Amino acid sequence: MNLHTMPRLPVETKVVRGVHLRKDPAREPCFKVVDTDAEMVAWQDMSPQSQRERLHRHMNNEMSSLDIAAQCLADYPDAPWELRMQLARQAWDESRHVMALARRLREIGGYKGEFPVANFEWSVTCYLDSLVGRLTMQNRTFEAGAMDLLARLPAQWRAAGDEKTAELLESIAADEVQHVRFANQWIRRMASEDPRVLFQVAHAVRFLAAVNTALMPRPGEVNRLGQSVESAGEVAPISIEDRELAGFTQEEIAEILRQAGFRSVAAAAETRS
Amino acid sequence: MPGLSVKRRADAVGVLRYVNVLLMETLAAWVPSIPEMEAKVLFGRHIWRVAQRADSFGLRARELRAPMHHSVAPPPNCLLAFKTGAALRSTDERIAGYHDLLLGALGAGYAWYLEQTDRLVDEPSVVLIESGLREIDVMRTESARLLEDFPVLRLDPPRKLDDLRNALAVCGGMLANELAHDAATAG
Repeated sequence: MNLHTMPRLPVETKVVRGVHLRKDPAREPCFKVVDTDAEMVAWQDMSPQSQRERLHRHMNNEMSSLDIAAQCLADYPDAPWELRMQLARQAWDESRHVMALARRLREIGGYKGEFPVANFEWSVTCYLDSLVGRLTMQNRTFEAGAMDLLARLPAQWRAAGDEKTAELLESIAADEVQHVRFANQWIRRMASEDPRVLFQVAHAVRFLAAVNTALMPRPGEVNRLGQSVESAGEVAPISIEDRELAGFTQEEIAEILRQAGFRSVAAAAETRS
Repeated sequence: MPGLSVKRRADAVGVLRYVNVLLMETLAAWVPSIPEMEAKVLFGRHIWRVAQRADSFGLRARELRAPMHHSVAPPPNCLLAFKTGAALRSTDERIAGYHDLLLGALGAGYAWYLEQTDRLVDEPSVVLIESGLREIDVMRTESARLLEDFPVLRLDPPRKLDDLRNALAVCGGMLANELAHDAATAG
């Protein structure tokens, strides 16, 4: 069996703004599952309710990461054993993240199901039918982006007077570096063994671009609180340090910086030894 | 006590590896379809435990002159029983089925091996298997704690899984064919 592609199983799908995506993983009835930023609630400040919503959203995102790692493990029994071990380890890590965030949420007076949640990463990643495509999407793109965000969030929580949450996020960030790293290592290894793998990588990248275009906030679109969601798709500035730890090359980091408009920083990154 | 030949030990360890991988895959397939968050993360944690156990047995097999990650399917009726367990659908059945029955069958296999092998000569395998037994206890303790906090997830009545229980009864001897052969040849 070609370990890079599996026969397309009859997975359940949904259509969101004209794009076919994987139907959501199972959630308890207490969770209101939505599909777009406009259906979520989010505050720009760090008020108590905003803090609870942020932790609640993060908790569900980690649950999605667990669902994805588990599904990859189940769907690709012929993948190299060492890669399967990495996915199993990720399942454990993400489980701890869910539990720790749920615990912190309760400590600050929140509860599961308090706010709407979306499973965007699952719906996009598990619609792909190759393991390398899913690693490209989930680990190397979404989790790398989360890694960049987690480099900044602790300072925000500290400024709000919450050292405990800041430390929790730093612990989670350390684990996420490993998830990005193993994906980088395995994608490179699989591509070196079979260059056709790069088609799977390219397909995943193009698919995400198409999904983002379709789901991009429309001009003037607001969320359930009446707040603009036009900035919802913005990416956090990258964490060069964590990207290096996670196995991104200097060239790759420089390219990301260039695309984000940081040409001078990109030049400096490329010359780092 | 005659113990087991090197080859028989390798094959028995291969069966134990196979079963741990099967459990890993069972849990992995279940996780996305389990709605209850606390049950989902419980199984997410267990995935790593059985994966590590499988990995350890795979490395041990190499020490017993078998290929790395040597895997041997258990007897067909035992394999069918495990796959029947894997097909459980509801969360309460999965929690009870996995912790009470599937792990029970695996534990019976572990116990049988420990009774049959030479504990001194085969000490590396003994250490792994005793660790595996402790891990079963840890998983069951975590499950019991979950059911205390969420009694609605307790299977009621337990006899719903009687068919699976009966099917898995044969797995107490999942290594027996290997062991019986060795005992016979040892005289």
